[in-house]
Amino acid sequence: MHNLTVYTVYVIYIQYAQKEVSMNILNVNGLCKEYEKFQLKDVSFSLDSGYIMGFIGSNGAGKTTTLKSIMNVVKPSKGDVSIFGKNFIENEIELKQDIAYMSGDFNHYSKKKLRVITDVVKRFYRDWSDELYSELINRFDLDEEKRVSELSQGMKVKYALALALSHKAKLIILDEPTTGLDPVARDDLLELFQELIEEGNRSILFSTHITTDLEKCADYITYIRGGVIIESMSKDDLLAEYRIVKGAMDQIIDFKRKVISYRETSFGITGLIKTKDLPVNSKVETETPTIEDIMIYYAKEERK
Amino acid sequence: MKNLLIKEFKLSINPFFLILPILVGALILIPQWPYFFALMYFGFITVPNVFSVNNTYGDIQFSALLPIRKRDIVKARFLSIIILEIIHILFAIVFAIINVKLYKTGNFLLDTNYAFFGFGFAMYGVFNLAFFPRFYKTAHKYGLATILGSITFLLFAGGVETLILTVDPLKKVLDGFPSDLTWQFVTLGAGIIIFMITTHIAFKISASRFERVDL
Repeated sequence: MHNLTVYTVYVIYIQYAQKEVSMNILNVNGLCKEYEKFQLKDVSFSLDSGYIMGFIGSNGAGKTTTLKSIMNVVKPSKGDVSIFGKNFIENEIELKQDIAYMSGDFNHYSKKKLRVITDVVKRFYRDWSDELYSELINRFDLDEEKRVSELSQGMKVKYALALALSHKAKLIILDEPTTGLDPVARDDLLELFQELIEEGNRSILFSTHITTDLEKCADYITYIRGGVIIESMSKDDLLAEYRIVKGAMDQIIDFKRKVISYRETSFGITGLIKTKDLPVNSKVETETPTIEDIMIYYAKEERK
Repeated sequence: MKNLLIKEFKLSINPFFLILPILVGALILIPQWPYFFALMYFGFITVPNVFSVNNTYGDIQFSALLPIRKRDIVKARFLSIIILEIIHILFAIVFAIINVKLYKTGNFLLDTNYAFFGFGFAMYGVFNLAFFPRFYKTAHKYGLATILGSITFLLFAGGVETLILTVDPLKKVLDGFPSDLTWQFVTLGAGIIIFMITTHIAFKISASRFERVDL
């Protein structure tokens, strides 16, 4: 009996401790935005502190619109965003102190020196640390006397990160930071992302259409297609949620309508199905999909 | 606001536009000339250049992510433009004094007197009202806004010059340097008030339009 009580207390403590450590940092709830030829429909997902979330979708799927709507740079027609538990619109100025957002690479004031830009930016942040900034500039091999246009794309991303970290941003939102980077620079950046969240009080949300980026560093994945969130869950759960099925058409005929999409090959057909929709006694060959598979088969379904 | 103004003059507005008032102000030394043009070059050169470079620099997008209110971006831009307009007027005053000392005969159009600067302030005010609300409808299309502003300049200056030239009682009190300068001071005061009111209205409309713009 005594052992059971101790165990119960221990479990409660662990649950409490986990709650404390992984606080909900971003909560997107039912965002909608209408354009003439595109709609963002009821976009909802959340991100806890200490994690990296990859936001994937093909070009034009609504990644940038979603990220801009989160930051209120684009005004959503419906829905709300809370960050660190506070409504973003109502506490925008205060919350922006702890957020960094970067669209693509840092492409502002291309003919200005980094030193001049930094001197302006730092005035806006109460927690700005000059020591930390100097450390980061040295670590990233950035020359403050260089102009933005003289930096490579990877260096521009690093400069934006140096600014973000120097004002101690706890939520870093990056829109396609790896697009256009060479494989070495990309790998370097993804490693850096992992390092940044190690302390546990910072989270990164970054959009990409390069799925290998996610395999390397994302803890959570949110997949958007045609302005609708298809999935938002941990990477492992996402991969477990689907199966690639391979076989002759007559083998899958019974559950064909449950297959998200398929393609015909000389050996039969290969398709994507939700694991729960796969019949227990099915004789088709199955394998775990990659994130790219999931994106491609969903895109095929959209084109159908 | 101080930080935003520092941003305006360190990142957004090229220092050349602080020197331009001297260059265009010197045009007031041209004898027998429509001197309103010296003030108008602000709208012809500074405004389209500043706004086009800002588009290239992604200035508004950069500012929108700073921990400030969206309407503060508009306020900072208004303040920096007002500062530039006042610098233009101040240098125009310097060259106007030289003009008066230099040329003994008056100008065939309005002289560079107190009334002229009253009209100058009012002209900048109506320019602000024409340009800014149109620009902040989109926060990137500066071309049509500049054309509107320029037309306003030309209509305003043309209207004033025509009135002074054709209406004798007005010419008597507002042109040259008559012994009684009361009406010229009244015009100067009224011009400053019109500048303040129209610019304030322009800000209110621009800020509310900018709030609705998707960046």
